[in-house]
Amino acid sequence: MQKLHRTDIARRQLQTAVELFLQGLDRSSVITLAGAASNVLNSLVRRAGKEPFVDYARRVHDHLVGSTPKRQSYSHHIDTKLGVIAHKHLGPKDPNTVELNLEQMAADALARAIADYTTLYGQDEQFIKAYLQWAWLNTDGPAQMEAFKSVPAKLRKK
Amino acid sequence: MSARDYTRFELAHNQLAAAIALYITNRDRLSAITLAGAADVILSQLVLRSGAPNFTDRMLEKEVEAGRTAITREIFGREINDMLFINQLKHFDDDAQEIIELDVDECALAAILKALANYVHMPEYKRDLVLAFKVWVKQNLDPQRYNIDCNPTWSPPPSAA
Repeated sequence: MQKLHRTDIARRQLQTAVELFLQGLDRSSVITLAGAASNVLNSLVRRAGKEPFVDYARRVHDHLVGSTPKRQSYSHHIDTKLGVIAHKHLGPKDPNTVELNLEQMAADALARAIADYTTLYGQDEQFIKAYLQWAWLNTDGPAQMEAFKSVPAKLRKK
Repeated sequence: MSARDYTRFELAHNQLAAAIALYITNRDRLSAITLAGAADVILSQLVLRSGAPNFTDRMLEKEVEAGRTAITREIFGREINDMLFINQLKHFDDDAQEIIELDVDECALAAILKALANYVHMPEYKRDLVLAFKVWVKQNLDPQRYNIDCNPTWSPPPSAA
């Protein structure tokens, strides 16, 4: 038997998700592991008294739409958008096929999990640096930083 | 890459194959539990759609034959998943403990076997994946503790029971 802290569980799943992603391996597995890690990290961030990704997203929603969605329903909405639900749930009435952009969803599922991970543990670990470097090179990091300058202070992550 | 249609079986197969790879290479057996568990949710439903009982149904039937009060498939399925820590690795409720204690190797093996039990009922299952895992089992697990030949009449020797 092994005693594992939730941090270890989230870290191991997220690290494997990043490795599978950067090695070009199965995107479905990246999405599921990043999704599981996100669920654990979300609670850890809240227990640490910090703002998890979902609450940041709810603030953005409030700014853009004028209302703040409930945490649980918005979290489920994000999980659906990232393909997490399609990979771990199949209801009796769901169709046998589902349309997904696995490449984009895997990158985005990792981004969400890493946002919460870095809130707690910073950016120093190798697998975090590796993903951030990939994101910088593949999602036009300089352009994103330039765009970030015009983001109002209240919309930046706390 | 743009969006395209995927069959649910594809999503389950790919996750199960990744779980087996992570398990037999001992790269990350904790993640193997999560992936096999996710694959099995899909496979369990697909088996039902084919008109056959899934692994949970078959296990529940045996339990009831052994004297247990009948419960729903959903409740029994949750019991099995809790025993394998599948839910605890992907959920962290507000009132839950931060530390959990589990046998990662045993849970990963059981989670993969449970998913495979449903996987082989699918007409499009990949025989090579199943054979590869069975060969690994035969070559690496203790025959005193495990049914390495997948013999349906096997039971543990008295010394190992």
